[in-house]
Amino acid sequence: MTRTLRFLVNETPVSTKAWALAPALDFIRRDLGLTGTKEGCREGDCGACAVILGERRAGTFSYKAVPSCLLVLGELEGRHLVTIEGLSSAKLTPVMRAIAEANGSQCGFCSPGFVISLTAYLMNPSPLSVEGAISAVEGNLCRCTGYASIKRAAARLVEEFRDLPLESFARLDALVKAGVVSASCLAFARGELLPDAVGGAQEEPEAPGLPRGRELKLGGGSDYLVRNPEPDGAVIDSFALLDRDPSLRLVRREGEVLAIGAALNWREFFSNADVLKLIPGIAGFEACLASPLVRERATLGGNIANASPVGDLTSMLIALGAMLRLEGAGETRELALEAFFLGYKKIDLKPGEFISTILLPASRPFALFNFEKVSKRERLDIAVVNSAASFEIEGEAGRMRVIRARISAGGVAPIPLLLAKTQAYLEGKSIGPDTALEAARIAASEAAPISDVRGSADYRRRLLERLVLAHFVRLFPGLGIEEAIA
Amino acid sequence: VKSTLASELNVSGATRYLDDLPESAGMLYGIPCVSPCAHGRLKSIDASAALALDPSVRVLTAADIPGVNQLGEAVPDESLLVEEEWSYKGESVALVLASGASLARRAASLVKLDYEELKAVTDPREAAALGTFILPSRTMSMGEASAAFSRCAIVVEGRVDSGGQEHVYLETQGAIAEPREGGRVFVLSGTQAPTGVQRAVARVLGIGQHDVEVETRRLGGGFGGKEDQAAQWAGLAALGAACTGKSVKVYLKRREDMSWTGKRHPYSSDYKLGLDAEGRILAYEADYYQNSGACCDLSPAILSRTLFHAGSAYRVPNLRVTGYMCRTNLPPFTAFRGFGAPQGVFVMECALDAAAAKGGWDPVELRRNNLLADGDSFHFGQSVTDCHAAKSVDRLLELSRWKELRAEIESFNASHRLEKRGAAILPICFGVSFTKLVMNQGGALVHVYADGSVSVSTGAVEMGQQVSRKIQVVVAKAFGIAEESVRIESTSTATVANTYPTAASTGSDINGMAALAACEEIRGRLLGLAARLLGAEKGELRIEAGLVAKGCEVTELTWKELVDRAHLDRIDLSAHGFYATPGLSYDMKAERGSPFAYHVYGCAAVSATLDVLRGTYRFDEAYIVHDVGESIDTAVDLGQAEGAFAQGLGWSCLEDLRYDESGRLLSDTLSTYKLPDIRFMPPKLVVEFLADAPNAKAVMRSKAIGEPPFLYGIAGYFAVLDALRAARLAAGKDAPLLHDIPMTPEKALDYIQGVRP
Repeated sequence: MTRTLRFLVNETPVSTKAWALAPALDFIRRDLGLTGTKEGCREGDCGACAVILGERRAGTFSYKAVPSCLLVLGELEGRHLVTIEGLSSAKLTPVMRAIAEANGSQCGFCSPGFVISLTAYLMNPSPLSVEGAISAVEGNLCRCTGYASIKRAAARLVEEFRDLPLESFARLDALVKAGVVSASCLAFARGELLPDAVGGAQEEPEAPGLPRGRELKLGGGSDYLVRNPEPDGAVIDSFALLDRDPSLRLVRREGEVLAIGAALNWREFFSNADVLKLIPGIAGFEACLASPLVRERATLGGNIANASPVGDLTSMLIALGAMLRLEGAGETRELALEAFFLGYKKIDLKPGEFISTILLPASRPFALFNFEKVSKRERLDIAVVNSAASFEIEGEAGRMRVIRARISAGGVAPIPLLLAKTQAYLEGKSIGPDTALEAARIAASEAAPISDVRGSADYRRRLLERLVLAHFVRLFPGLGIEEAIA
Repeated sequence: VKSTLASELNVSGATRYLDDLPESAGMLYGIPCVSPCAHGRLKSIDASAALALDPSVRVLTAADIPGVNQLGEAVPDESLLVEEEWSYKGESVALVLASGASLARRAASLVKLDYEELKAVTDPREAAALGTFILPSRTMSMGEASAAFSRCAIVVEGRVDSGGQEHVYLETQGAIAEPREGGRVFVLSGTQAPTGVQRAVARVLGIGQHDVEVETRRLGGGFGGKEDQAAQWAGLAALGAACTGKSVKVYLKRREDMSWTGKRHPYSSDYKLGLDAEGRILAYEADYYQNSGACCDLSPAILSRTLFHAGSAYRVPNLRVTGYMCRTNLPPFTAFRGFGAPQGVFVMECALDAAAAKGGWDPVELRRNNLLADGDSFHFGQSVTDCHAAKSVDRLLELSRWKELRAEIESFNASHRLEKRGAAILPICFGVSFTKLVMNQGGALVHVYADGSVSVSTGAVEMGQQVSRKIQVVVAKAFGIAEESVRIESTSTATVANTYPTAASTGSDINGMAALAACEEIRGRLLGLAARLLGAEKGELRIEAGLVAKGCEVTELTWKELVDRAHLDRIDLSAHGFYATPGLSYDMKAERGSPFAYHVYGCAAVSATLDVLRGTYRFDEAYIVHDVGESIDTAVDLGQAEGAFAQGLGWSCLEDLRYDESGRLLSDTLSTYKLPDIRFMPPKLVVEFLADAPNAKAVMRSKAIGEPPFLYGIAGYFAVLDALRAARLAAGKDAPLLHDIPMTPEKALDYIQGVRP
């Protein structure tokens, strides 16, 4: 069942018969002997193993930093893997120099990951800012520096490269000339170094990319590798990497709904123009989810199928009234996202089925959407409790009435919840302090949380009450709700 | 700033850590099969399924240990492999070896342990009630605390808790052992204490220290976690190598490392503080219940530092503090930056916090009025000299624009209902030296090669603290040559013997001085030769910028020529240097003496904004005025101050080490144990080194830097508490004490809502 995977590693084409579900990190360190990429945690939480993944699609290209511990080898097929060793042939790159000269490397173990994240930030064809550069390393942990020197290095880089072109080829060309990345990136981007490979890491699928039979199906593989850090080839007959199928990464209108390919990754989702047009209020909430590194690997469908009771994106999608389209077991069927969860980590998925599409009602934009999350650490942490809300309102300021509300809650039950009683209560109510307080109280009564390492059951219930209040405070300022909170 | 070679290697991914080194053919991978519960009696080990997995699998038990099955130095209570009983979950019971790392782990999971589960204790106060201690308690006192309380206008009493802290050195623990001819063994160990590992391996294998060579190249972080606890992994690797005749590598995965190794000691303490009507401290008593974990490890030394720092930066005329080393069924808690001082300092700060609340004093004034000054005496009898406490605080109040900051906060709080700001300052006083006298010694070996380049070996282990950089500067200055000509070697027991751990912030103090001593000797020989060559007096010569200078004149004699000539003249170009910190003495019976070479002072201010609705908070600003003497390298010292502050902020506010009642670690991955990330740190952090504070007592008039700034993080805790109080008071409610590290969002919301734990 093994087939040859072909991809480009730094400046060298590589072909391997290594098992396509193995973490790329192990292949990079053991098979390729490229030990500049470090193993820090093997669950996407430290960024020490970050690499840059280049991809060509439809005449364009992208280079993104990803954690190689959450990257199955099959994802490399036809792509360009850039490790710390491949950034420059001999001398230091400007990113390396900036960190070294800011004394931003102490023990050094995390340093290659920071260099990779900042390099990918420069490659991304958007205007630079110090805040943006800092955000780019939100998924990189350093235990030595306290990050102050790394911030200084980031600020220096932003200053040094503020005139980078925004057009992607021109930008890459400028970065190659500046010695930030090697010429192989430009050659790959132009299609000169490696011919386009056909998507899919397995044997050629009958219908390109579409999985068949009883196989393991991965979205981006980020949850899979956390749970199976050393996948055992003996127990899996076949598998499919859904995100290698371009059709599963499309966002398109289907009449009254927006159909979003389940293999779309989180970064793509939050930057998609149709999504932002439909849900203007969702902009910026991506920072609450995982890290830039992980958002590049995590897919919408993967987050849903993982069935975590506290999945952030799942929580958002439930409040948006998402439906799932399930395919693969003969008949295609659709069901409401909240109905997909049957119990703790139990989902309504038949053998052979997979989530192909997430369908959002799109007859009119979601005017009032909010997401709330509390975790021990604000960034790159799993929520203690999360909640999303969307409201349909009639009437003017001061006399607003709820037509319909959808409020979700994560981390308060074995499954992600749609707060049905809270919603029912809200229907037709005029918005004001009393309504908000009562809705929050009802929401808390709908919660059935447990105590664990992230928080006690009692805390979770009280926190949900506060987060539901927070929806009102954020979405309906000036109605005296803030003042009514004890 | 110019980058150093080490930094350049780091950022380009060229630095090789233990797991990056090429592996020798036939190498075996070792992983322990560990105890499945916190306390149990081993009945039998069934390795048959593991052995059947693959022909390369070997399973070694305590019976295979040729020497003494003992790692404990202070107290012999820590075996390499369990013989009859284990006392924490994750203790090594058998060593499983196989030709691949994954294979070894699979084999280890197949080893069946037949055992009887015994009662486990995880709470230090419960252990104390049971009388289960590592060693007898220890008390330090000065004056008559109990009598002085009757003269106090205000007395406060309370309980203080602080949690443990996982080191999260990015490079996990490990070792590679290679058998050498003649029964010798070479161990590449990720340790802060190569000699300690050498002693442990020699003991376990029953051979002499001269048959064990331990080398440490560099560590991907240590922070104390690899001071005592690296011996376990090196010991296992060496045992495997000795029994199989093959190289053995033991390298832990993150979850294994987190579950099996010790962390910062959790403490639970009781305090009583008395002050006069003007807010002057008259008396202080404290009992510290240290959760020592299952084995002694470094707990006694850590407890002693808690006791030594009981008074923190304050004058306490009557004091009595007692520490209890409570034995529990958790992995042995161990060294972590600050080494017991943060726990003790936090208790004193909580007592002052309670006093300020009760007495209605301004928290800053209260602290400012009680600072140590020259002429005072520490409670262990050492005189306070060269004290920079008040100077640091005053400068900090200027630097942070404290009055304006407070006014801004008041006005912000008056106009914001669901957000409240808070701020706090924290002065520090940290004693430098190992509190165990014998450890305050170190050696160095310096070779000048005939081409003029220099090789320096010391006992210092490079773990990111950039001690190598500091020693490089010291040596380059001593020889008057370019820094690039000086190479700092890896740390090896075969080069410099009988060293002590790179710890207690003393790395550059002790090893820098030892290197300097060696340099002085070689320099003396070279200048003697130069004097003959130039017809000058040796005393009027020196070397500067690679040239011999006479008085104010530079001669044409270069360093390179001088060295070359010395070699031709058969002059020894190598020297060993030694340093023993002078002036230290301590009488353990009387608990009196001068255990510290000097103290480090400073002060921090931190401000935070609390989200009252959600119970979360962010740090806004931090200002630090820190005493580094005359910095050897300001970039290095700045990095140490900023990094230590981050760890301190993490410990006091964010990092939530959790065990369940059965002794199982719940926060055993980086997804459940969160440490500071770039957004957790305050966007504004200003560190200023105290001006005009040379230190006559350390190398190049510098001061140790590693640990003291850790304490500044505690200011973050009180900044959040200040904001929490503002939220309660604004709501017309009471503002009780909350003295329980870490300040999790859960505790914050509980406080806001008046939910008592």
